[in-house]
Amino acid sequence: MKKLISVRLLLSIGLILSMIFAGYSIYYKVKYWGFSISPKQNANVWAIEANINFIADGTPIKVSLGIPTKNKGFKILEENIIANGYKTQKHADRIVFSTHNMIGEQNLYYKIIVFDNINTKDKLKDKAPKAPLMPQFDEQKMAQARQILEIADKLSGKDKVEKLIKLFNEEPLNPALKSYIPVQNTTKSKINQMRELLAIEGISTRIARGLKLEEGQKVTPDMMLEAYNNGAWRIYDVTTGKIGLPDNFLLFQRGGDSLLDVEGGTDSSVKFSIAKSITSTMNLASQRAKQAKKAGWFDHSIYNLPLAQQNTLKWLSVFPIGILLVVLMRNIVGVQTMGTFTPMLISMSLVKTGFITGLVCFLAIILLGLGIRFIMSKLNLLLVPRISAVVIFVILIIHGLTFVGYNFDIKIAQASVFFPIIITAWVIERASITWEEDGPLNAGTELLNSLLVGIIVYFIIANDYVRHIMFVFNELNIVILFIVMLLGTYTGYRLTELRRFAPLVKKVK
Amino acid sequence: MFDWFKKFTSPKLLRAKGVLGMNARNFHIISRYNPRRLYPLVDDKVQTKALALQYGVNTPNLIGVIEHQFQVKNILKMVENHSEFVVKPSHGSGGKGVLVIKGYAENSFTLPSGKTITYNELYQHISNILSGLYSLGGRYDSALVEEVVHFSDIFKDYSYQGVPDVRVIVYKGYPIMAMSRLSTAESGGRANLHQGAVGVGLDIKTGKTQKAVQHNMPITYHPDTKADLRKIVVPLWREHLLIAAKAYEMTGLGYFGADIVLDAQKGPMMLELNARPGLAIQIANGLGLKKAIKRVDKKYPSGLTAEQRVDYVLA
Repeated sequence: MKKLISVRLLLSIGLILSMIFAGYSIYYKVKYWGFSISPKQNANVWAIEANINFIADGTPIKVSLGIPTKNKGFKILEENIIANGYKTQKHADRIVFSTHNMIGEQNLYYKIIVFDNINTKDKLKDKAPKAPLMPQFDEQKMAQARQILEIADKLSGKDKVEKLIKLFNEEPLNPALKSYIPVQNTTKSKINQMRELLAIEGISTRIARGLKLEEGQKVTPDMMLEAYNNGAWRIYDVTTGKIGLPDNFLLFQRGGDSLLDVEGGTDSSVKFSIAKSITSTMNLASQRAKQAKKAGWFDHSIYNLPLAQQNTLKWLSVFPIGILLVVLMRNIVGVQTMGTFTPMLISMSLVKTGFITGLVCFLAIILLGLGIRFIMSKLNLLLVPRISAVVIFVILIIHGLTFVGYNFDIKIAQASVFFPIIITAWVIERASITWEEDGPLNAGTELLNSLLVGIIVYFIIANDYVRHIMFVFNELNIVILFIVMLLGTYTGYRLTELRRFAPLVKKVK
Repeated sequence: MFDWFKKFTSPKLLRAKGVLGMNARNFHIISRYNPRRLYPLVDDKVQTKALALQYGVNTPNLIGVIEHQFQVKNILKMVENHSEFVVKPSHGSGGKGVLVIKGYAENSFTLPSGKTITYNELYQHISNILSGLYSLGGRYDSALVEEVVHFSDIFKDYSYQGVPDVRVIVYKGYPIMAMSRLSTAESGGRANLHQGAVGVGLDIKTGKTQKAVQHNMPITYHPDTKADLRKIVVPLWREHLLIAAKAYEMTGLGYFGADIVLDAQKGPMMLELNARPGLAIQIANGLGLKKAIKRVDKKYPSGLTAEQRVDYVLA
C-alpha cells in the first residue's frame, strides 16, 4: 500500500510538472511562433507594391513616401526597394529617395510583403497633438458652422466626430450643410471641411491614408480621418463614421504630411498594386520566431524539419490520445477487445478510408475472410501456414473488392486497399478461434467491442482540431504519458465489474 | 432504461463486501507476489509435473512428451502399454486442447463422449499443439501424453461430460477460497463459467457446498442432471487443500489457483496451476477475495509448513 502511494505521488508530481511545462510551452508557441489552436492551416500573405511615377526636371530630386510604421497589426516578411541611381533612406514612417541629374520619366518601386495582419480596432498610440488652430471664418460662415455642429450633435453616435461624419453622409443632405459646402466636393475637401468644423469644437484631426487589402492593380489609397478625442487618437471611416481601422486595412501614412512628396519633379503620382498569396501558417512560424527574437528554439524544433517528415510526425502525434482512450476503455471501463491495440489499428485504417466506406469495407473483408477461414478449418492446416493462407486470402479479397469497386465505380469497395493486411488477417484468425472455442456469441461480442472502441478512437483521431493540436502542441503527449502511467496505478473496480459482481452484494428476488 | 442501471452496483458496496477487482488483483497481488520469472514453473506443465514429483504431490503419471513435429508419428509406440491416455498442450490453459482417448484400435480412437476420431485427426491435433494453437501467446509448444484420471463417482451426477475439478485459491500458502466447476450441456462440456458452466462455491473448512451459480445467478439443481447441488461434499478435503498448499513451496508464487481432480483410486491429483486465477470464484462463493486476503495478511502466522497451514485453515 505504501509503495503504491509513493509511486502514485511520484507520477502525480510528474503529471503536474508536465502540465506546467506543456502550459508554458503552449503559451510560448502561441505568443512567439504564432501557432494557433484552430487547424485553420493557411494565412494570407499580402504583397503591396507602390509605384512612384514622376517627370524629373533636372534639379536635385528628393522623393518621400509614407510607409507603414511597425505596429502589432501586421508583420513584415520582406521589404524591397527598386530605385536605380537613387540613394534611399528609411525612416520609421517614411522612405526617402534622393539623387541628382535625372531627366525624364522616373519609376521608383517600394514593395512590402506583410502577413498576420490583424484588426487594430483599438486606440492607435501616438503623441498628443497641440490644440487645433481655429479656422479663419467670417461671422456668417462661423454661425453656419456652429449651426451644423448643433444639428450633428442631435444625431446618434459615440462621439462628436462620428456624429459629424454621419451628417456629411446623410442622404439627402441636410439643407444647412448643403448650403455650407460646395456643390462639387471631393473626398479630400470633404475631410478638410470636417476638420475645420471639428477644430471649432477644439478637436485636433489629421488625415491618414492606407490601403484596403484587396487584390487589385493601380489602387489608390483610401483616406481616413484621425481625431484626437478623449486623450487618444482614433481613426474614423469617412463614409460611415465607424471608429477604428476596417478589416484588412494597412495604414501607409498618418499625420499631417502628404503620402507622397516629390521635389525636383512634376506630375508625380503613386499607384499601388496588391496581390494576395496563401501560405501555410506554419511556414510563417519561423519568421514570427525571428521577429520575436526567439528563433533559436524554433530552429531546433520539429517544425523546422522538411514537410515530409513533419507530416509523418503529425500522423504519429495523434496516436497517444488514441492509446489513452484504449487504456481507459480496457482498464477503467473494462471492455474486452480483440488484442490490446486492434481497435487502434482499425481506427487508423478508418482515417485512411473514410468512415462509412471503411466500416462497410472492413466488415465485408472480415465476413468474407471468416467464411474462407471456416472452410479452411476443415483442412486441418498447421497454425503458421494457416494464418499465412488467411493473409493471402485477405490480399485476394482486397484485389477483388478493388477491381469491382473500380469497374462499377463503387467508392466503398475501392477503399479496401487501405486496410492493413496482416492485422485484418489476425482479426479473422482470432475471431474464428474464439468462435470455435467460446462460441459465436463471444466471438461476435469481442469483434463488436473492438469495432466499437475503434470507432470511438476514430472520431477522436479523425478530428481536425485534435490532430492539429496534438501535433502543434506536441508537449501534450508528455501529459498523456503521465496520465497513462497514473492509470497504471488505478486499482479500483472496472465499470463492467460493477455489473459482473453485482450478484455478490444484491439480494436477488 | 432504469432496469438496465439496476444491473450495476456501487463500488462502495463492492468494497464493503471485500470484492477483488481485476485491476486490484493485477496491481496489488499478482505484480507483487508473483515474480515473472516463476511463471514458467506453472505455465509449463512439464516443469510443474517435475516439481510436483519432487515435492510428493500427486499428479497424473506422465507417459511421454512430444516436442518436435517428427516425433508425432511415435505416438502409438509411446502409448503401446496404455489402453487409454490424455494428450494436452504443455502451455495450455483452461482445458484448451486437451484430448482424452478412452480406448483405441488401429485407426479408431474413442473419446469419452463415445465419438471416434481417426489416426490422422489425432496426428493433426498433436501437430496443432506443437505449432502453438493452444499455447499462451501462440508460441511453439510441446505436447504432454499422460495417464487418464478416473474420476471419482462422487461428482458423476453433478457434471455433464467434462472434468469436474476443484479450484483452490492459495494466498501466501494458505488456501483461502475454493470452488468446483461443473460442466453443463450449455457449456459444451467445458468448465468455463462464462460459457454456462455451474460454479459451486465450496466452504474452505469443510468442502461442502456454500452456494451454486450459473450465469452469475444462484441455482439449486444442476440444469442437466437435476442433481441437488447443495448436497455436494468433497471427500478427502484436507488432502485437496494440502496439494494446493504444497504448491506454494513448489512454485514460490504468493497467489495462484490450483486445479485439483479426484481420482477414484489415487485420491486428489493436481492437474495444473494458474498464476492468474480468475475472479469468478467470488461470485460462486458469494464472498470477496479481498476480505480473505486481508485476513491472511493480518492474522495468519508465517513460517508454517504446508500441513500446519492447512490445519490452521481447517481449525
